[in-house]
Amino acid sequence: MFSYNRLLFLIDHLIWGILVLVFVFFIFQSEYFLTERNISNILTAAAVLGVLVAGQTFVLISGNFDLSTESTLGLAALVGIWLIVPAGPTTFGGGIFMNPYLSIICSLSMGALIGYIIGCLITYGNMHNFIVTLAALLVIRGLMMAFTEGAPVSGFNNPSADVFYWLGHEKAFKLPGLGKISVAVLATGLVYIVCHLILKHHKFGRELYAIGGNRDAAEALGINVNRRIRQVYMLSGLLAALGGWMLAGRVVSIQSNLGETFIFTVFAGAVIGGVSLQGGRGTMLGALGGVLLLSTIDRGLNLMQVSVFWIKVIQGSVILVAMLIDAQRVRLKELSIIATSEKK
Amino acid sequence: MKILELKNISKSFGAIHALENVDLDINPGEALGLMGDNGAGKSTLVKIVAGNFSPTNGEIFVAGKKTSISNPLEARNHGIEIVYQDLKLCNNLTASANVFLGREINSGFGFFSRLKHTAMNDRAAELFGELQSETRPHDVVERMSGGQRQAVALARTRLSDPKIVLLDEPTAAISIRQVAGILARIKQLKETGHAVILVSHRMMDVFEVCDRVAVLRRGNKIADKPIANTNPEEVTGLITGALEKA
Repeated sequence: MFSYNRLLFLIDHLIWGILVLVFVFFIFQSEYFLTERNISNILTAAAVLGVLVAGQTFVLISGNFDLSTESTLGLAALVGIWLIVPAGPTTFGGGIFMNPYLSIICSLSMGALIGYIIGCLITYGNMHNFIVTLAALLVIRGLMMAFTEGAPVSGFNNPSADVFYWLGHEKAFKLPGLGKISVAVLATGLVYIVCHLILKHHKFGRELYAIGGNRDAAEALGINVNRRIRQVYMLSGLLAALGGWMLAGRVVSIQSNLGETFIFTVFAGAVIGGVSLQGGRGTMLGALGGVLLLSTIDRGLNLMQVSVFWIKVIQGSVILVAMLIDAQRVRLKELSIIATSEKK
Repeated sequence: MKILELKNISKSFGAIHALENVDLDINPGEALGLMGDNGAGKSTLVKIVAGNFSPTNGEIFVAGKKTSISNPLEARNHGIEIVYQDLKLCNNLTASANVFLGREINSGFGFFSRLKHTAMNDRAAELFGELQSETRPHDVVERMSGGQRQAVALARTRLSDPKIVLLDEPTAAISIRQVAGILARIKQLKETGHAVILVSHRMMDVFEVCDRVAVLRRGNKIADKPIANTNPEEVTGLITGALEKA
């Protein structure tokens, strides 16, 4: 029997169906696709993206944007390594030789602090979140470049950088069929579990949905909206710094453009996963689906030896298709509201 | 004893005086109709009682004690529940989530607390039953009729046992059949000893359920008299300015 509700349910969970389809398609396209090594690569590539998308999902659900996370990620990675390596050529560090655990705490708190400052500018300064985070994107990137004068900071061959490699590179254990699971993948999995619990089962998450759905109502019912917005940006900054830690362990040497243009992929992941740009709608599970789909497509096309330029074209098209499906979802919802109200 | 007393309340927004020295009081078990044309200051007065605005001047007494209401949560803690004109519902949330918004039932403390979904849904279902509404706790508010939305907003006021219920234009956006339901609900509140303030444009509603009517015009209270001593024509005259004072 046809029912709008059933159709809506299908569309809401379409991401997983598409993921399976895309997966099967690539299996037939490349013999290397279903190898442990490739699966492990897909998951590792999804790890850093996933952490940023998780942060962005909180921000989007509260009805805001955070464009600055790619720069925060870069700066956090840079500062983390800079604090532990010697000064001068080849490494270009600060020569501070900080304890690596301490440097990670520094870099994570810096991420949270950047987020908090952005939140304060938006709430106390009464400025639009899009503009504030756009400015932050430029300012932080500029700081990074000015700070290093364009030289790459490298943790190569430095025993202190092991903590970074542990999160970025180390394999935790081997799973049959999935290959070696890296620490980064485990960490991202954990992040998603915690974020899911916060969003679905904690007052904080419930309030974010309310703020994104009807800010005015949330305020009238005594929710401290501005405080929540500051906290959301703090969370986003913290997760961006965590992503920076992961990436620092993977790329060994931090260029001052680390993470540049990453934000487009982050938004794409969230939107493909069904997180609404209008706020108030989306789930962590959906966002995770979006992340996995993007990295699967990326790896698959690479294996098919599609040119980098075409990969961009295809990624752009995937975003358009996702938005098209989303627009149909909104239309269907309206139809189903009319259908149910006429039944009464 | 007066359950709520406003004394000399004034509110200015820059050069605009939205309210000037308004006195208002209400007893338990009494329903007060608050009337006035658009821009007369009704909404400002509602927002002051609800804690959305603080008055520029004047004092508020709840149950004889001087209080300041600086935010909506404080108003609730003083036993004042508001049903706003636009209902303040989040369309993206379920009925039950809307009822409990800002007052969720949790287990545990702080960061480690967890929403008790089942407890909230059960309680919401009970409340909808008491209101004789067909609203189901799991339904998303987006897909509800005007009456069901109203039921969600009304259910909020029943979470605690409020002393004062303030309804801002509750009958403006619903069908005639549902208006009767709201009016019955107001009578029921009166009988159980609650003070009700009904802000409305609809003369019929005010004359059906209220004991007293107060009229605001351009930020001043120009009349406050028992329903028995007045009639719709007189009140209309007061609202429009055809009659200078009662």
